[in-house]
Amino acid sequence: MIFVGIDVGSRTLKVVLWDDARQRLVASAVADQGVDQDALASQLVDRLLLENGLAREAICSIVATGYGRKLIGMADRAITEITCQRWGVRQRVPEARTIVDIGGQDSKLIRLAADGRVVDFAMNDRCAAGTGRFLEVVAARLGTRIDALGRLAAESRQPARISSMCVVFAETEIVGLLASGISPADIVAGVQASIAMRVAGMGGRSVEGPVVFTGGVALVPGMTGALESALNQPIAVAPEPQITAALGAAMLAASDKE
Amino acid sequence: MKDKAAQLTLDEWDIRYRELCRHGLREPDYGGSLRRHVDEGGDRRLLRLRMDNSEAALRLWNLLLSEEDRLHRARAEGKYLVGTMKDLGTVPVMAYALDDTVAFYPDGAWWTPCLMEHTEGLLALADQLGVDDSFCPVRAMLAAFVNGNHFPIPDTVVCSVGATCDDMSAIAQRLDELGFPVFWWEIPHRRVADADEPSVELPGGSRVPVAQVDFVRGELNRVRRHLETGTGQSLDDARLAAGIRRANQVRRLLGQLRRFAYLGDPSPMPALEMMIAEILSIHFCSDWAETVAVVEDLLAEVRRRLIANEGSRPAGAARVYWINPPADLRLMNLLEEAGGRLCGTDYMIAHALDPIPEDMPPLEALARMALADPMVGSSAERADRIAREAARFDAEAVIVSRISGASHCATEGLAIGRIVERRLGIPVLDLEVPPVLDAMEPTIRTRLEALVETVRSGRRA
Repeated sequence: MIFVGIDVGSRTLKVVLWDDARQRLVASAVADQGVDQDALASQLVDRLLLENGLAREAICSIVATGYGRKLIGMADRAITEITCQRWGVRQRVPEARTIVDIGGQDSKLIRLAADGRVVDFAMNDRCAAGTGRFLEVVAARLGTRIDALGRLAAESRQPARISSMCVVFAETEIVGLLASGISPADIVAGVQASIAMRVAGMGGRSVEGPVVFTGGVALVPGMTGALESALNQPIAVAPEPQITAALGAAMLAASDKE
Repeated sequence: MKDKAAQLTLDEWDIRYRELCRHGLREPDYGGSLRRHVDEGGDRRLLRLRMDNSEAALRLWNLLLSEEDRLHRARAEGKYLVGTMKDLGTVPVMAYALDDTVAFYPDGAWWTPCLMEHTEGLLALADQLGVDDSFCPVRAMLAAFVNGNHFPIPDTVVCSVGATCDDMSAIAQRLDELGFPVFWWEIPHRRVADADEPSVELPGGSRVPVAQVDFVRGELNRVRRHLETGTGQSLDDARLAAGIRRANQVRRLLGQLRRFAYLGDPSPMPALEMMIAEILSIHFCSDWAETVAVVEDLLAEVRRRLIANEGSRPAGAARVYWINPPADLRLMNLLEEAGGRLCGTDYMIAHALDPIPEDMPPLEALARMALADPMVGSSAERADRIAREAARFDAEAVIVSRISGASHCATEGLAIGRIVERRLGIPVLDLEVPPVLDAMEPTIRTRLEALVETVRSGRRA
């Protein structure tokens, strides 16, 4: 009784196989996005099935989520990532009351009731300034890799102030900061703080803990600390934070609850 | 010819229209196929909308999309044209009390970039005129005045200023400077009366000091004299009272339409048509008599559908109370495609849906109505009314549709959202939508679908 969750994100596509009878995550995979998302999802599912000695017939149901959720032909249902995050995070961190999800293209703040229901959510509006895209732009501008940004930020003594509300303008601002001798470490720390502040702004003044951090950006060292400073409370990174929405989708595939 | 309720694409409406004609469709002089508004008027957005299939909706759309023709005809016939700005629903009542006088809202041009999908270049021209996208899309009006390609230049422009939207004030000042003289009248910020100050109740329930009503009445008396000078007619109390009764006829019809449409399940009239109908309350689409006829038709159709238990979408959709008009009409379709439906609205014209008092001198009544405008009071007062209405219509969620660049929306939406959330405990979704939302459609869809999922999850709990 295998259920599949597919999270079609803007930067990566995630697949999870879930054994509902044993309440166990069987396998998961993350791949960079391609042009044909349906084919990519299909390949990933087949690979995971093969690696785990399963046949396609073992799959009972598939739920797709993420911005490309409606492009997956093999999916039985499409459910938004907000609902899927709730299920995936509650499986991993049952006491969670707030989810901060920062992906490549958008960021979300999801408030949960004590029983785990979604109470409310907010998403970034117009610009990528609160998303992983900002980190990509900075990494490219500094000639480094995104996974090296955390190490760089750790060397910061005085995080730079990034005032722009827009990634394009922020890039210009970064050029100016570099020209005025600000270190790359301080710039990266400033960018991380800027992203964290924007996400915190979505929550207004009332972000109830425990707060769980998900999405690909949760894997970037330094971001958790930046968020903790911005939200003024401890943040727990979800185990395998990239796959929580896919996990929730797989759990929903096994359920008629949503 | 009555078909079951459905929402049609423009192609489907072409077929429907031919069928209706074959069955003897009777239309007013502005009638015709909806396709002509794309082919002749350039209203390309219709190609992306799904419109209600009723004859009543056809008449509504045709009334809306033929307004510019009507205004040009009025100009050719020598009628006096009053461009009304910012006050929502007051000056038109006065203007329509006069013979051969037509009032319209040039700021209605804010929907033109949406309807024509930016092919008309109004926002680009507004940029060149120094009013860029840090302002509300209502800036399209400024460009429409300058290029003269849309509405005829009115004989007078009457604009309220004071406790009004900053964008509108800035744009109207620019118009003034460009040689389109504006007659200004002032509306103060609505405040609570001091303890020892006499106060009166306004339509909608707020109370204000008598002194504020007196002041606004004086301002409206200036407007009255201005219109008398312009038209050469006397705008006496008897005429004003008749104008108020006409306006109230539309408001009462819309009140019934809203009650039936928002309480019925399945929803008997789609969100898009309801929005257009509600906004008729302030401007009558430049034809009061046709507005009455159009709303009566809609009401009859809604009643028929309620009896037949018909809606274009299934029963049980998530009941959403909507705040502020969206710059892109397509958003209302998206709500329904996501599994939601309207169950109440505050398009910033809530006061214009309340009947104007008829048991007092007409200028006093108009002054009270003008002061009831949500935009001249505090966000908290607006939120209070919204929360009361949302509860009355059993709303399960609220959407605050912010308008890109609109100064009042930038801050007011958040404040209203928080108050409504605290009072009603239902989810509030904050959306900001540009005049053409296509590039943002996937993310907007996600939010709307997530809101509907949240409502459904709450029902199960």
